[in-house]
Amino acid sequence: MANAKYLEDHQMYYIRERLLEMDESKWRMLQFMQFNDPVIILIVSLVTGPLAVDRFMIGDTGLGIAKLLTCGGFGIWMLIDWVIIMGITRRKNTEKLMRAIY
Amino acid sequence: MPLTRNRFLLYLSLACIAGYIWLALISRLKPEDIGTRYDVCVIHHFAHVPCPSCGSTRSVLALIHGDLVGGFYWNPLGFVIFMVMVISPFWIAYDLLTRKSTLFRFFHLFERTLQRKWVAIPAIVLILLNWAWNIAKGV
Repeated sequence: MANAKYLEDHQMYYIRERLLEMDESKWRMLQFMQFNDPVIILIVSLVTGPLAVDRFMIGDTGLGIAKLLTCGGFGIWMLIDWVIIMGITRRKNTEKLMRAIY
Repeated sequence: MPLTRNRFLLYLSLACIAGYIWLALISRLKPEDIGTRYDVCVIHHFAHVPCPSCGSTRSVLALIHGDLVGGFYWNPLGFVIFMVMVISPFWIAYDLLTRKSTLFRFFHLFERTLQRKWVAIPAIVLILLNWAWNIAKGV
């Protein structure tokens, strides 16, 4: 739960329930799990928008290439990413956690 | 929203249509105005330094006219964009007609391959070299 700020709010109850039911053997793996900080990703997005470093960092390699090749989607995609990148980062973190606890 | 097969095909179709419209509009301009008077790159516009992809439009236009050397000179990444713009409409149509996900699976395979260190590091180095060449050329 210390990582709550990295995850999607609406999934927290479900994640908590799942963690309580979870096998003890998976705890060690979860303790060492690394998540992307949405604030850091937003700063990266603000600084290096057209270079798509934010997309590469969260694992969206294909979209990152597309964003890089189009100079940040002619700047439009870059602006949209400034708004949505924190949400996408939280979703990616949640998906990563979900894969680990199943 | 997670990237599903249908959403991926929709985004790629829209990107291709936008690309074709962009090429149709830009090809009516004088060649010397492209990238100078009509500049869509944020980095180039504000910092007056070309980004790694600057010159891609001129590269694709050169490739459309069969000028491979010109295409390479303006930006080697233009080859990638040109291939995507030529191949993807047919691939999208094939996937839609046959209700298959071959392009979406290829996209995931491409992503996984590019995330491997032995592919990612040379790719980053090539992009940086291309960026340095762009700055040296003053694209």
